[in-house]
Amino acid sequence: MIELLATRWAYATFVFVMVTGLYMMIASPNLVKKVIGLNLFQSAVFLFFVASAYVAGGSPAIVPSEGGGGPYVSPLPHVIVLTAIVVGVSLTAVALALIVRIYREYGTLDESVLREVTDD
Amino acid sequence: MEYVAYTLAVFVVVTAVATALLRDVLAAIVIFGAYSLGMALLYTLLLAPDVGLTEAVIGAGVTTLLLLLTIAKTVRPSGDRTIERIDPRALFACGALAVVFGLTLPGLPAVGDPNAPIVSYDAVTGHYLTQSYAETGVENTVTAVLAAYRGFDTFGEATVVFAAGVAALVVLRREVLT
Repeated sequence: MIELLATRWAYATFVFVMVTGLYMMIASPNLVKKVIGLNLFQSAVFLFFVASAYVAGGSPAIVPSEGGGGPYVSPLPHVIVLTAIVVGVSLTAVALALIVRIYREYGTLDESVLREVTDD
Repeated sequence: MEYVAYTLAVFVVVTAVATALLRDVLAAIVIFGAYSLGMALLYTLLLAPDVGLTEAVIGAGVTTLLLLLTIAKTVRPSGDRTIERIDPRALFACGALAVVFGLTLPGLPAVGDPNAPIVSYDAVTGHYLTQSYAETGVENTVTAVLAAYRGFDTFGEATVVFAAGVAALVVLRREVLT
C-alpha cells in the first residue's frame, strides 16, 4: 500500500482531488463553489496527463537543433493540457457570467432557494 | 525530488479539502488560489514548464480574478458556521468513485517509469521529438505540436475563447447596454 502510494503518488493525488471537486459540484449549495469544484476536477485531470508524460531523470521537451540529448518527457500530453486549460477558463467565464445573471434575476445563489423560487 | 513532490502533493490535497469545506466563498477562493499555485509548481516539477506557467497565469491568476469579480457583484453566504455541512450521500458516491479509481492504480506504470508506453512508443512521441526541428524549425517540441502540427486545433481553441467571450457579453447584456 505504502509502496503503491510512493510510486503512484501523482495518480493518487489525481484521484483524491478529482473526487473532492466532484463532491463540491454535488454537495455545495452555493453556485460559485460548484464552479470552483469544476476547476478542481479539471486541474486534477491535468495532473494525470502531466504525470503520465513524466520520465524520471529526463528533461523538458526542448530538443536542440542538432538533435540528441534526452531522455525527454513526452510533449503530447502537455499540448492537450495547454489547450484544455484555455478551454477550461472559457467555461469558467461563461459559468460565472450566468451566475451573475441568475443573482440579478433571483437575488440568491443558494441552490435550494433557487429551486423553490423557480418552481412557483 | 521525491520529498519535494510528496510535500507538494500533500499541500495540494490539503488545500483542495479546505476549499471544499470552507463555507465562506471568499475564503474558499483564496485557498483555491493557493491550490492553483501548488498545482503549477507540481506541473513544473514534473517537467512541464509550459503547463506550469499557463496554470500559474490562468488558474491562479485569471480564474481567481473572475471568481473575485463574481462575488463582488453577488453575495457571500451569511451565517456563523465556518465549515460546510457534510452531505453523506454525496460523500458516499464520491468515496465509491475514489475506490473504483484507486483500484486501477496498480495497473498504471509508476510515475517517471521510462518504459511506460506513452514515453517509450517511438512511432508517436519519438517521431515528434526527433523530427520536429527538421519539419517546423522550432526547438521546443510542445510549441511545435501546438502551433504547427496541431495548429488547426489551436485555431479551434481560439474560436472557443471567442464564443465564450460573446456568450458572456450576451448573458450580461443589460450591463453592456446601460
